[in-house]
Amino acid sequence: MSVHQGLSVTGVSKTFQSGGRAVQALENISLGLPAGKVGVLLGPSGCGKSTLLRMIAGLEKPSDGTITLNGRAVNRPGRDRGMVFQDYSSFPWLSVRDNVAYGLKINGDRNALNEGTVDHFIRAVGLEKFADVFPHQLSGGMRQRVAIARTLANYPELLLMDEPFGALDPETRWQMQDLLLNVVRKERSTVMVVSHDIEEALYLGDVVFFLSRHPGRLRETIFTDFKSSLPQNDREAFLQSDDYRRLELHIRRLMRDEGLDAA
Amino acid sequence: MTAKLSDKATGQRLVKAGISEAANHKGPEYWFDFNQAIPGSQRLLLGAAGWITFVLVWHITSQMDLAPERLYPGPVAVFGALQELFIEQSFLSDVMASLTRILVSFSIALAIALPLGILMGSFARVDAALNPLMGAWRYLPAPAFIPLLLMWLGTGDTQKIALLLMGVVFFLIIMLADVTRQTPKVLIETAKTLGGGRRIILWTVLFRHSLPGYVDTCRQMLAVSWTYLVIAEIVAATDGIGAMMMRARRFVHVDDIMAGIVTIGVLGLLLDTVFRLIYRKSFPYLGRGHS
Ligand SMILES: Nc1ncnc2c1ncn2[C@@H]1O[C@H](COP(=O)(O)OP(=O)(O)O)[C@@H](O)[C@H]1O
Ligand SMILES: [Mg+2]
Repeated sequence: MSVHQGLSVTGVSKTFQSGGRAVQALENISLGLPAGKVGVLLGPSGCGKSTLLRMIAGLEKPSDGTITLNGRAVNRPGRDRGMVFQDYSSFPWLSVRDNVAYGLKINGDRNALNEGTVDHFIRAVGLEKFADVFPHQLSGGMRQRVAIARTLANYPELLLMDEPFGALDPETRWQMQDLLLNVVRKERSTVMVVSHDIEEALYLGDVVFFLSRHPGRLRETIFTDFKSSLPQNDREAFLQSDDYRRLELHIRRLMRDEGLDAA
Repeated sequence: MTAKLSDKATGQRLVKAGISEAANHKGPEYWFDFNQAIPGSQRLLLGAAGWITFVLVWHITSQMDLAPERLYPGPVAVFGALQELFIEQSFLSDVMASLTRILVSFSIALAIALPLGILMGSFARVDAALNPLMGAWRYLPAPAFIPLLLMWLGTGDTQKIALLLMGVVFFLIIMLADVTRQTPKVLIETAKTLGGGRRIILWTVLFRHSLPGYVDTCRQMLAVSWTYLVIAEIVAATDGIGAMMMRARRFVHVDDIMAGIVTIGVLGLLLDTVFRLIYRKSFPYLGRGHS
């Protein structure tokens, strides 16, 4: 793993002041995600996954420690770190196409706009038939595809996603996971996803960072190299593999140690 | 999406089917179901029935010698007076004078309130500095300033426009700030992580998201503006709808006074309708039942 290419989090802690009391959300987190890989932040609710992701996005400041992306320190939000939020945030007054074009427009990226980048990503998430529709006419899964296309069309160096499929029904969630993997493989994106679902974490992640609670610490880093010998986009083969079963059981035990059975 | 659209379509079909099915029975369960949507034709008919009843009661009571005819004229007399006012007296110029006062004062109010409201709704520190001040001014009734305004500005248009401005601008500032503040944080953060700077986010997210709310707020505050207009014109004016009514009072022309009231009502309703139309045409993305 090269130190400079990719995301590196070093000794990051975060303490919130809440009602006059200091609440330590994260303690001394260090982790690295190489460029072109998918990382997953997994852990029980309240362990600080969202907080860590928001600090990587630059939406919160660490109380301690440093975060760098491709060698540059992260201080504030920027185009290089696009974020997909849990609640399908689309600009309701913009059509699907204008939503996807929004980032390129505000950045004055004429070249990308002229090269058909917007249509490319609308097609990549399978929304070409709905390009001129307003978001409120779309289902939750489709709105989340708009958000993914909008973020990727802006060519971020790192794609951040906070429980992007958490509120979808299982069938749609599986479809969206495959869609995401196909798009990021093709675009060679670097991705950090927050999840509280073990299956989703192992299915999406090249590397899974398991966080424990109170305060949030990095408890274990799990690599999923076993997937390289499995056929791609074959969930059944994945779920039936011995490695998956072994890791799933292992993480389930970690979750149980945290006092919370994996749901 | 397909699923969602077709759900909607079947939903509407079911509603229609339910209505026609129930209409065959026409029992109380049909006519007085709780908070049901009703067909547009029925809505129109029922609304017209309400108005016709009102005009009829007015007409009949005016014929019943409850009061001298000149103190309580019926609808026929009032509409006759309205016609005469427009054709034989120069009532149109009074109406224009009143409308001009409304539009000028409201434009000034908006020019002051919009920038302040946007800044207060967008930046907590601007809000903390201005909200206590503007919020307090709201509770000083504008008519209380009439004696002062008369002394400072005389009885001309300036005084009336000042009164209308005072009556509206503080409410407008606070309401526009509230609308702006309601912009979802997640949209602002989305724009930030797409590389948007402060100025871009202010215009393309906060302002743009609030636009429908601004239009709606203006519609509501215009109605308030009408109230102050009548007060301003009744106190001291040589032209305007209110001034005409005060002139008519001197000669006990009650039909003219009532014609003035009708005019004010109709104009207010028209202005309201124009704003509703602008709202519906400009914001097609606010699908009914969605936010
Ligand atoms: N803005 C905030 N102010 C105070 N406490 C916060 C804030 N954001 C998060 N926390 C606290 O930090 C901890 C981690 O929260 P979060 O990152 O949302 O966890 P997760 O996403 O893993 O569920 C929780 O105890 C939460 O209450
Ligand atoms: Mg969270």
